Amino acid sequence: MSNRLRYIRQSLTAAALAAALATPALLSAPTVAVAQERGGTMNIIVQPEPPILVLGLNQQGPTQTVAGKIYQGLLTYDFNLKPQPELAESWEVSPDGKVYTFKLVKNAKWHDGKPFTAADVVFSTSKMLMETHPRARAVFAKAEKIEALDDYTVRFTLKEPFGPFLQSFEVSSAPMMPKHIYDGSDYKANPANATPIGTGPFKFKEWVKGSYIHLVRNDDYWKAGKPYLDDIYFRVIPDAASRAVAVEQGTVQQTQFNDIETFDVPRLKSLPNVEMTTKGYEFFAPLSWIEINTRNKPLDDKRFRQAMMHAIDRKFIRDKIWFGLGRPATGPVNSVTRFYEPGVKKYDFDPKKAEALLEEAGYKKGSDGTRAKVKLLVMPYGETWTRLGEYVKQAMKRVGVDVTLETTDSAGWVNRVSNWDYDMTFNFVYQYGDPALGVSRTYVSDNIRKGVMFSNTMGYTNPEVDRLFAQAAQTNKDEERQQLYSAAQKILVEDVPVAWLLEMEFPTFVDKRFKNAITTAIGVNESYDSVYMVKK
Amino acid sequence: MPRIAVFISQRLVKAVFVVLAIAVFNFFLVHAAPGDPAAVMAGEAGAADAKFVEQLRQQFGLDRPLYEQLGTYMGKVVQADLGYSYRQQRPVFDLLMDRLPVTLSLTLTSFVLALIGGVALGTLAAMRAGTWSDTAITVVGLTAYATPIFWIGLMLILLFSVNLGWLPAFGTESIGAGYTGWAAFVDRLEHLVLPVVTLGLFYMAVYTRLTRASILEVRDMDFVKTARAKGLPEWRIVSVHILRNAILPVITVAGFQAGHLIGGSILIETVFALPGIGRLAFEAVLQRDYQVLLGIFLLTSVVVVIFNLLTDLIYSLVDPRIEVAP
Amino acid sequence: MTAAVITPSRRKGSGFWRAFARNKGAVLGLVFLLLVVLMAIFADVLFPTSPWDMTAAPFEPPFSEDALLGSDTLGRDIAAGIAHGARVSLLIGLTSTAVAVLIGVCLGAVSGFYGGWVDDAVMRFTELFQTIPNFVLAVVLVAIFTPSLTSIVLAIAIVSWPPLARLARGEFMSLRSREFVQAAVTTGQSNLTIIWRQILPNSLSPIIVSASLMVATAILLESSLSFLGLGDPNLMSWGYMVGAARTVIRQAWWMSFFPGIAILLTVLALNLVGEGLNDALNPKLARKGRA
Repeated sequence: MSNRLRYIRQSLTAAALAAALATPALLSAPTVAVAQERGGTMNIIVQPEPPILVLGLNQQGPTQTVAGKIYQGLLTYDFNLKPQPELAESWEVSPDGKVYTFKLVKNAKWHDGKPFTAADVVFSTSKMLMETHPRARAVFAKAEKIEALDDYTVRFTLKEPFGPFLQSFEVSSAPMMPKHIYDGSDYKANPANATPIGTGPFKFKEWVKGSYIHLVRNDDYWKAGKPYLDDIYFRVIPDAASRAVAVEQGTVQQTQFNDIETFDVPRLKSLPNVEMTTKGYEFFAPLSWIEINTRNKPLDDKRFRQAMMHAIDRKFIRDKIWFGLGRPATGPVNSVTRFYEPGVKKYDFDPKKAEALLEEAGYKKGSDGTRAKVKLLVMPYGETWTRLGEYVKQAMKRVGVDVTLETTDSAGWVNRVSNWDYDMTFNFVYQYGDPALGVSRTYVSDNIRKGVMFSNTMGYTNPEVDRLFAQAAQTNKDEERQQLYSAAQKILVEDVPVAWLLEMEFPTFVDKRFKNAITTAIGVNESYDSVYMVKK
Repeated sequence: MPRIAVFISQRLVKAVFVVLAIAVFNFFLVHAAPGDPAAVMAGEAGAADAKFVEQLRQQFGLDRPLYEQLGTYMGKVVQADLGYSYRQQRPVFDLLMDRLPVTLSLTLTSFVLALIGGVALGTLAAMRAGTWSDTAITVVGLTAYATPIFWIGLMLILLFSVNLGWLPAFGTESIGAGYTGWAAFVDRLEHLVLPVVTLGLFYMAVYTRLTRASILEVRDMDFVKTARAKGLPEWRIVSVHILRNAILPVITVAGFQAGHLIGGSILIETVFALPGIGRLAFEAVLQRDYQVLLGIFLLTSVVVVIFNLLTDLIYSLVDPRIEVAP
Repeated sequence: MTAAVITPSRRKGSGFWRAFARNKGAVLGLVFLLLVVLMAIFADVLFPTSPWDMTAAPFEPPFSEDALLGSDTLGRDIAAGIAHGARVSLLIGLTSTAVAVLIGVCLGAVSGFYGGWVDDAVMRFTELFQTIPNFVLAVVLVAIFTPSLTSIVLAIAIVSWPPLARLARGEFMSLRSREFVQAAVTTGQSNLTIIWRQILPNSLSPIIVSASLMVATAILLESSLSFLGLGDPNLMSWGYMVGAARTVIRQAWWMSFFPGIAILLTVLALNLVGEGLNDALNPKLARKGRA
């Protein structure tokens, strides 16, 4: 079993390497004359069904995947998170890092035929998203002014330099919304929400709720000759087992994120008709951990938390619970995100060391062999997390810590964690390409906000960490940022405010007949304007 | 028949009060839960700030005092308006109507098959009481009665889908197969076989036991002896004289269990991944989609009340001697 | 409701046993049930390690060296799970039935004894609970009050008491008018004493029979809740095992097969015992074989 897993892992790494080497060529020569024929229909799973397709109003995962074909952002990112042109064909940054000027493509049109101009960019970033998109609000609030210099030039002037500003323009972070439809209206109640209008390669055609969403080729797309596909159907299949069957039978040609349960992955990977990749999630770079409420005893003791890191075998978790998907995490930054620091303290799986640390912290074994009791609130996001909870309970018991599991539904979970009513729980968050966007929010003390999910719910405070993160965000010099982030990562790994588990990988299964699906760091959320089908 | 009319109207008035009381009860029950849909949605959006959650709460009316929310809700219930699910961005009524066909086709088919099969088997067993066929039917019935239905479902999938490959295991139709007309109908039928058998088996066992016991009781009564003495053919004695009387307790229990079928369909719809009311209910609980949950409660209560009413009516038709007393 | 004719005097023990033993199925059920109880009591001796411990390689098939009935996704022993799970099933089955009997008999007694508007009010209340589909209500109750031993027991009890209340009401109503009760009333005994001393002991037989069958239903309910992921996460239970096995049924049939068999046989045994009790305690009703 373990041999097979190791083999799978090795071949996986090799495949990833090959893909990484092959990609730059693809990106730099998009017009290369391969057999990129017109035509073909792609069926993609979407799960859960998005509530609405207007990306400016809803940014849940499935919405992003579907609406990423309808709407576009100014930029996209390659696998190394370097900005690439999309609706902006070029951009300039002033030397002081405060002024960003974007030149827009000149021939882009909304699906209703109106031209896409700088006014739409200004409206989206300074008005609509400020009200409807929490993540965009955090970024564009840093702008002093956002102005259209002419129809195809937009200038953002920041109050102070903001390192990750250029990382905030992909389609789900800052989707461009049509001004002529939304300006002056009640965004959420706009009747046009039922028929989304974007600039993307595919147009909204029909939505049979509970069944499928049908997108058709945008014949007026601004990139000449694209897209290649005629239609994309997003199929709603709520049950995991049925989704796996649909891949096996070839009735769907793509699945992404959590569509396929981890235990089905080894089986589906061996199918002849599909290819699996874990590329295309670099922008999200999910990292999972045990969230630890550092207000509660014994979790307030750093040595107790370090003992947890030693007591839990993250390789076992990767191999047996995630069936080989992911990499054991070394610290707060995912290794595919920018500014990752490998030189941090290492926590090997070593129950003896864990027990020694617990002894040192004064948690002696009682008569029943128990050193301490803690509670673990299991994240209600499916069976894999339940298994993880059961594993952590057993692993901690081996070093004398009695873990009581608590379960709840998603409403109860959000409620309890955001109000700090927990000892330990699981969590995983996206890093959005830059520590200032997706990492610092978990650890800085001014993000200790009761009632807010995905904030610093652990109540961890370290003034030095606060200072390092703040300083790193306020500069756009990469070497300087690297130094600051490296320092922050070293402190955090020593302090263990959360017990990092895995740099998670999601499997994307794509039918072998479809090429060019995963080309950037936003993977399946890409516009798919260069995806084509090889006909036999 | 004016007496029947009076009876029905009295029952209806009572039923309306029961349904309203249930609506109030459910409202408080559902609101006793910690956490609200605004927090869940904010959590799912990936990033949340207090302003976003507050916006959602206002939009859902969750910032109003509880009694006001109850008033609004009851006012709408009276007008048969089940409210709007903000999570799914659709009226609850539409959501329910989308899911209802699956659940109805599942439960009604199971119910009818279970009733027919149960009465037939029960009659057979009773008429041959003490023989090996009676023993066999009784043992199988007892076993079916004691088996968790979710497990039967899994075992049937294992046998007929995984090992033999005869029947589809999940869903209501082959996805993307593009069947039309007759082929589509057959495809749907094939998908229905395992779920219906699973749900029906348990109830068939119940009705078999009931019918058998009930017939054994009626069989030796005077009017049956009289009929036999008159030399009537056996099938006539069984179908007209015995069954007609023996079936009453079966009808009572069957009518009573209409609501239980919906409970059972939560399990069946989970096992077979069917997009029905049961699954909707389970998902609504987990996501705290109050409006949907309340809607399902109300709908199922109405169905049960209607079934109880029907039971009474059928009762009076099968046995005209029984007074339709309120 | 059936008004059983029961003599106020208690049956003799030996008579009871003779009647019970006449039903072979009941004896078989009782023997099996005793085995399950023994397994539950001695689970720690049979399988000294916790059922959650990963003692084998994942996905070992049955009859392998370190897992008699196979192992699950994390390498936990299915046999150990079944032995320890017996505790949970029996515990929840018995306590929830006890609570349901308490609620049902109290309400039924009050309703049947006093009659009039009290009876009316209690019966309307009972009807309310019978109209909401009971499994749906149980799911909602457990989900809302978060799954734990207490919330599961209470939820099962809350959805199970109405039939008992109706049964008790019927018994109390018919016994209320009997001479020995009337005699007690004329001698000036208080209502509570009459209910407790005179009527209750004489209405126990049908209640015991119903309760024994209800234990079986409660075990099924618990397993269904656990199957949906609404079990106590710290307790290994049979329903949980089947639920956790559902998604890997293609890889490991044994994970769902054996715990399911355990539920089936236990519930079957309880039903057989219930019927035996029925034969022994209610000889007049014996042939009715009520479900």
